[in-house]
Amino acid sequence: MRPSLPWFSKTALAAAVTVLTAGSLAACGTSASGGAGGSSKGPISIGASLSLTGDFSADGQAFDKGYKLWAKDVNASGGIGGRQVKLTVLNDASNPNQAVTNYQTLMNSDHVDLTFGPFSSLITTPAASVAARGGYALIEGAGGAPTVFNSPPNQADHNIFDVSLPIADEMMPFVDYIKSLPPAKRPKTAAYPMAQDPFADPPVQAAQKALQALGVKTVYSKVFPEEVADYKAPADQVASQKPDLVVLGSTDVPTVGAFMQAFEQQHYTPKMFIPAAGPDQGQAFTSAVGAANANGVMVPNGWFPGYANPQSQQMVKQYVKTYGGNASGVNADVAEAYAVGQVAAQAVKATGGTDNAKIIKYLHSGASISSVQGPVKFDSLGENGAAAAFIFQWQNKGNYTQVLPAGASGSKSILATKPSWSS
Amino acid sequence: MTLSRDKLPRAGGLIVLLALAIAFPWLFSNPAVTNYGVFAMIFVTVASAWNLFSGYSGYISLGHAVFYGSGAYVMGVAAKAWHLEGTAVFELLPLCALAGAVIAVPFGLVALRVRRHTFIVVTIAVFFIFQLMAFNFSFTGGSSGLSSPFLSWTQASFNLSFYDIALACAVGTIVISWLIRRSTFGLRLRAIRDDEDRARGLGVKTMRVKLSAFVISGALTSLIGAVWFYYETQVQPQTGFDPLFDLTVVLMAFLGGYGSVAGPVLGALLIEPGTLWLNSQPQLSGIAEIVLGAVFLAVVLFVPRGIIPAGGEWITKLRTRGKPAVVPAVAMTKESVPAGTPGGEK
Amino acid sequence: MASQIYQAVVDGILVGGVYALMAVGLTLIFGVLDIINIAQGVLVILGAYLSYSLSTRAHIDLFTGLLITIPVMFIIGVVIHWAFIRRLRGSERTSMTLLVTYAAALIIEGVLYMLYGADNVQLKASYTTSSVHLLGFYLPWIYVYGFILAVVLVLAVYLLLYRSRFGRTIRATMQDETAARLVGIDVNRVSALTFGIGVAVTAVGGMMYGATNAFNANSGYDLISRLLAIIILGGLGSIGGALAASVFMITLESVVTIWEPTWAIAVFYAALVLVLVIRPQGFFGRKEVRAQ
Repeated sequence: MRPSLPWFSKTALAAAVTVLTAGSLAACGTSASGGAGGSSKGPISIGASLSLTGDFSADGQAFDKGYKLWAKDVNASGGIGGRQVKLTVLNDASNPNQAVTNYQTLMNSDHVDLTFGPFSSLITTPAASVAARGGYALIEGAGGAPTVFNSPPNQADHNIFDVSLPIADEMMPFVDYIKSLPPAKRPKTAAYPMAQDPFADPPVQAAQKALQALGVKTVYSKVFPEEVADYKAPADQVASQKPDLVVLGSTDVPTVGAFMQAFEQQHYTPKMFIPAAGPDQGQAFTSAVGAANANGVMVPNGWFPGYANPQSQQMVKQYVKTYGGNASGVNADVAEAYAVGQVAAQAVKATGGTDNAKIIKYLHSGASISSVQGPVKFDSLGENGAAAAFIFQWQNKGNYTQVLPAGASGSKSILATKPSWSS
Repeated sequence: MTLSRDKLPRAGGLIVLLALAIAFPWLFSNPAVTNYGVFAMIFVTVASAWNLFSGYSGYISLGHAVFYGSGAYVMGVAAKAWHLEGTAVFELLPLCALAGAVIAVPFGLVALRVRRHTFIVVTIAVFFIFQLMAFNFSFTGGSSGLSSPFLSWTQASFNLSFYDIALACAVGTIVISWLIRRSTFGLRLRAIRDDEDRARGLGVKTMRVKLSAFVISGALTSLIGAVWFYYETQVQPQTGFDPLFDLTVVLMAFLGGYGSVAGPVLGALLIEPGTLWLNSQPQLSGIAEIVLGAVFLAVVLFVPRGIIPAGGEWITKLRTRGKPAVVPAVAMTKESVPAGTPGGEK
Repeated sequence: MASQIYQAVVDGILVGGVYALMAVGLTLIFGVLDIINIAQGVLVILGAYLSYSLSTRAHIDLFTGLLITIPVMFIIGVVIHWAFIRRLRGSERTSMTLLVTYAAALIIEGVLYMLYGADNVQLKASYTTSSVHLLGFYLPWIYVYGFILAVVLVLAVYLLLYRSRFGRTIRATMQDETAARLVGIDVNRVSALTFGIGVAVTAVGGMMYGATNAFNANSGYDLISRLLAIIILGGLGSIGGALAASVFMITLESVVTIWEPTWAIAVFYAALVLVLVIRPQGFFGRKEVRAQ
């Protein structure tokens, strides 16, 4: 290297320095917190990756609140089996590469005892593969698309557990309700616009099939791209058909808001309006669409802030105390996240520790676990077969009310026809 | 500069570098660290492949995710159709590269007719068309995407094997990039970058040259896209065809030194692990994006030609102690020197 | 069927007006400074959030609020230009600005997350949901106002460019920067003011976007690729072209949506590629004067 330093050896030098520094830094991080894994004393460390920024940030941040609220409550009540809980949440920026990195960091560098799931089916599948290779159970509350459970890695490892309601059947209480109506009172026509999303389409398609069998005529059934700019055109087309019922395959608040705005502009009020997701987001929904407009809007879900379950009521109280707002403003994501924590806590208690192999076995054993979302019982692929399915409705300018199944504990009377906009 | 004694340290540097890259997962065997290595090698390949077309020809492609995603999808669809599992899936890699090359031909024939900004936007448009196809066709799994076949490796050997595969792709791409740069083909590409009309006037068959580079670049990007898919275990339209992918790659190339062989490699080694590390810091959550943006800005504003060329000039200046260097071109013109041709190389 | 097509065309024209408002700033900056401003999408969202703050905190009407947000955005634009764009020189300037504006977008997005959180919000006023019944169509007031605003704005920018002294210096800079410099035009000042005007105009686009869609800090990314497609189709730097291309593209998209919503954007981009292959300078563009 004496006479001249040719360009590539300069690069070699630079790259060598880079790699060594990066490696040492990472290794330092590793050894600094090493040794925590597997110990049966001291705090239980739990790791999760959530989309705190990016596409899923609205839901990711709500989930973050749920996990943190659970950890706080558990620690206030003396921890799990006397052990405090230490929660680490990393941001995956809605990017699966980052989620893969985060879970490997949590498992191998932070040596967490348990892993909790990320937000959305998109991130859950790769996260579950990473967890499976590390021998971890991935308990999650928001990766409900059928593809998450049917992926080859999960079929081989069976390490995913979704505490929430399986989405494919979530519209069924609504279908049963239509069925219970005298034929003259059933909606005559229905529209099924669906966002292109693995989470949004299955329940709407199932509902369409069942309602057609009941004689409800389909006037519109199309999938539209999940991008904000495209909503006005499909919404106007739905409005121009003036169907009695609109079952909207939505994933988030902006989609529902755009359809509602277009309907109102077209002076069209569906008699029944039931989006797959969005109206379950509490205040995040009403502040985007207006509380008055929300009147009569329905949504399927496994949980709501007024759920007549003592654990849930306690959680809602704690939530309002910690984060402010009011009870009906609590996002369903919070309960999903909270239930993940409860299921994990129950599994740790039942197996007497944080051995993930035992936990996976226990969760597959058919044990019934109670959570803020009601009972949890996993099938062989990790779906919660015991989850209660409800239909909720916004009533009286900002009251989120359980209305279906009719006659179930906590169900109030349904607003059979949606009032016109802003009335 | 063609004296044989100069080749010795260069070869020595290369061997040291390669040895270091191979030894890396053995030095730091924790899967949390080797994971960084896998992503770094994937992006070294992508950035070098991008650079051997865009860096050499001056046509900035923001559509290379077309190849990356197509490689991933070809592997997923083929593995499913032929019921391949485990290590047999890796036999599909040549097919994935071929698919990239095949896609590059019509893509290039259309896009390479226009230049500069218009070329950039055409590549973006083609990119979105591919993303939509992935969304809309049923054999691509629609919005659910495709899961990879199951690979029963343990955690440590999984990362290790993927590191080796990605490293092999990276080394192969760097070698191809280097061979192109020192060939007449590479000279023609750079002539196009400096002045396409004059290059054509001098008898360079510009379309053929550009298209060839585009095809090679596309094939390599597809290849590594497939590797990424199997590592990630799934691909979806918005992850395979990710609009931010191309911006990241351009950034890597520019950070290291656009148009040089080594620049994109260094850029990828810095940016990919750096971003992953930054995002995974809980105490930085919320400001990671701001920090990232600030770092990018600082680089572009203060080291506008990339680290490698800037470093090269700095060392040259140091060595000659401010006296005119052996190659005075650097001192004479500020802007006409293409980035990536600092002092030493010829 | 015919009525559906009419409805789709009406939708396309109305939504096209909103897109034009977002695209005018981009094409102006593109035409004069020769840079692709990746931050345009995020600047739209920034404009929307400014209007949101004014309307929720100070209860200022959305359109009145523009009197405040436009100057504020102008200053932001000039600052961005002064701090970052101004320094970029040389043969790789185009690609460099791509990266600088991307970095600026990341920073603005991060700041918006810190200030407003991730929940989606929407701008509300009496006219965002009411509409006028005309020729059998319901025309939402917000889109009608937006379209009028788009036409007025395009005219204003046109007058500025073609009927004012400042406009002449801008156009001179557009055509040949070196020559403009030689005849004594302060190119740096012209660039800064143009960037400022481009960002200021985006305040209007942001307000319109926020009044017609729910948004959060991340929403800008969906916009930038469409806006780029629109301004390339309209011809780089052509203000009227941006309006025409917006209306054309969005109408095409909403008509295709009648049959196949999922392929509508593909048609949008395929049309772009097709047009560019036949006519590389776009609908209204001049020939590339700075072809390398």
